Amino acid sequence: MKQQLAKQLNLLDFALSSLWRRRGKNAGVMLVFTAVIFLLASFHLVTSALTERAGEILAPGPDIVIQKMSAGRQEAIPLAYRQELRDFFGIRRVVPRIWGYYFDEVRLANYTVIGIDPARMPMAEHLGQSLAAGDFPGPVAESDGPPPAAVGGLIAETLDVAPGAYFSLFRPDLSLQTFEVSGVFAEATDLLSGDLIAMELASARDLFQIPAGRVTDLCVYVHNPAEIDNLARRISEVLPDTRVLTRGQIERTYQAVFGWRSGMAAVCLLAALAAFVILAWDKASGLSPEERREVAILKMVGWETADVMIMRAQEALVVAGGAFLLGITLAWVHVLYFDAALFRPVLVGWSVIYPSFGLAPRIELADLLLLFALTVPPYLAATVIPTWRSAAVPAENALNE
Amino acid sequence: MREQPRRPAARLAALLLLLALINTVIWFHGQQIRQRQQQALPKLHIVTAALGLTDLAVATEARYTRHPAVSDPLAAFMDHPGAIEHFPTGSFWAPPPLLREPHPSAAALRRRPNGEGS
Amino acid sequence: MMTMLIELEKVAKIYNRGAANEVRALAGIDLRVAAGEAVCLKGPSGSGKSTLLAIIGCVMPPTSGRAAIAGKQLARLPDRFLTLHRRRTIGFIFQRFNLLPALTVLANVTLPLLPLGVSPVEQRRRGRRLLERLGIEHRENFPAGRISGGELQRVAIARALINEPPLILADEPTAHLDTRLSHEFMAIMAELKAEGKTIVITSHDPLVAEDKVVDRVLEVIDGQIVAA
Repeated sequence: MKQQLAKQLNLLDFALSSLWRRRGKNAGVMLVFTAVIFLLASFHLVTSALTERAGEILAPGPDIVIQKMSAGRQEAIPLAYRQELRDFFGIRRVVPRIWGYYFDEVRLANYTVIGIDPARMPMAEHLGQSLAAGDFPGPVAESDGPPPAAVGGLIAETLDVAPGAYFSLFRPDLSLQTFEVSGVFAEATDLLSGDLIAMELASARDLFQIPAGRVTDLCVYVHNPAEIDNLARRISEVLPDTRVLTRGQIERTYQAVFGWRSGMAAVCLLAALAAFVILAWDKASGLSPEERREVAILKMVGWETADVMIMRAQEALVVAGGAFLLGITLAWVHVLYFDAALFRPVLVGWSVIYPSFGLAPRIELADLLLLFALTVPPYLAATVIPTWRSAAVPAENALNE
Repeated sequence: MREQPRRPAARLAALLLLLALINTVIWFHGQQIRQRQQQALPKLHIVTAALGLTDLAVATEARYTRHPAVSDPLAAFMDHPGAIEHFPTGSFWAPPPLLREPHPSAAALRRRPNGEGS
Repeated sequence: MMTMLIELEKVAKIYNRGAANEVRALAGIDLRVAAGEAVCLKGPSGSGKSTLLAIIGCVMPPTSGRAAIAGKQLARLPDRFLTLHRRRTIGFIFQRFNLLPALTVLANVTLPLLPLGVSPVEQRRRGRRLLERLGIEHRENFPAGRISGGELQRVAIARALINEPPLILADEPTAHLDTRLSHEFMAIMAELKAEGKTIVITSHDPLVAEDKVVDRVLEVIDGQIVAA
């Protein structure tokens, strides 16, 4: 047993020396390999962390969201639709809401504007705790002053405003609506509120000039979460021109939105595949005459075929395994400390406002094993099989070439 | 006594050890960051619940990547039917499964007694 | 009664048996070499002496006939045991030395020791001892591709001796050496023979055949030993 270990260490020494002797070429292979694994691992870490984060953060959202559809597009929903839901036993509350997008042409930024009734939305009374400064707008008083709005931290930066300051937005008829900043959301909530302007329902209606009696969607809250799907189906039967979204469906969005069918994933996979095909083809096309000679000499001085193969396998394992470990480490550092900087251009695109993710990805053993299984064994096989075929040739034939 | 150079296997072991150390440090730091995030979770939950939010503010350039969970199916084609994808985030974010599932209303239509729709 | 280290009885070797390019390299060779003997095999190229050497060297078993090297029957040994037997019994010196040019001299010499699990310290000790004996210890850390022909030969000899085998085989060892180096080579062979090693050399160099070290000269022609 001890001798076996000593033998394996000797073979490893030889394998490492052999790698060092061709260090230029091996460094190149390792670089490519590392880059591929870095790419795949980074993508996986970012998307799984975002998915997990979304799941955590969006858990207390509305149970059901109802939107009105016309010609396949969303349009304002009449408040009267609530009457149809009055007799639904399982529904606890139906809360109207106005939300939409505002495009700031000066700064080329998109803001999300949300108008709620603070008296009726769940936990709205605690909104003050999520602000870094100021208060959340209460019911709009009939005063002369501009209506209050709470803005996300990134908007406060973009517009350069603080509580008490004013900013103006255009209505559809190009008249200006001025708002007073009543509060700024805390930085810790940037991932949700970064691009938000939150205000009272009436202010939002005024800004978007949505007719009285209509809102953009209805938030439905139920008594028993197990009944959500059932209720959703019944709602869609009663209101056939609406789109009924359940919390389950909304949650599943983030489990699949970064899936392997997305464009970026396809790019990463294709790059990985191409790299591997090139590497494997280079290896599998057989050993060079030099390498064949080396194998023959080793056999002639008393190395068994198995010894030669073990040594080559160790070489491959050091290159592939080393690249794997390095790639994973770099991916981890990339996501944790650099906020996935390489993917950001595609993750945020032309967004002017975007929060830093501050992702702390969780690395699962299963993911590591999967990535390992997809990358290292193929390289091992591509390296060891030609060596085996070469070692099986009677040594003196190779030497007499 | 001539000097005994360190064997290559020992050098490899040292390198692996270093890597393991780095990874351990990173892992612990990651755990710390997670803990901090967990502490901020109650604030985030308040915002989600009170404003009825359905999406993270990751990509703010297009409607359907800003709110993938609640965007209508045609949001991605809002400019005109033949428009090709021009938002970078559209290539990163796949359409949510919601848009690939049968619509609950479709089920309702199929059940109509007079056989309208199909 | 002398111990026979090499016993070949009606040994034949046929390559590509049954195929269109069938070649009869050896046809019924009988050969007995005692321990401590030094034999020279002469013959033109294509005579089969390389094949004969390969069989004696436990590189491959014969197609037919009985071949026993150091008491072990070759035909009955599977490939793995053939290798093990070769390791323990044979020290091969190749015509073109067959060293790995990128490895140092010491690394080349200790190459056979790696799969035996010999520790690096012990490897260095044995290797250096042989290099000193052959007068090339100063080349220990030089890459084998950068030393002279004479030094290369000594490295090849050192490698062949590292496992302390009883049988030394040399295939055309002086083919690429000048007269002085050829004499040096034979002098080393004489030392080894004096230590009790058995030596078989294939060569058509008269310098080798006529050297006083050689006990017998055998001629191999068309796969048969002509002179005994």
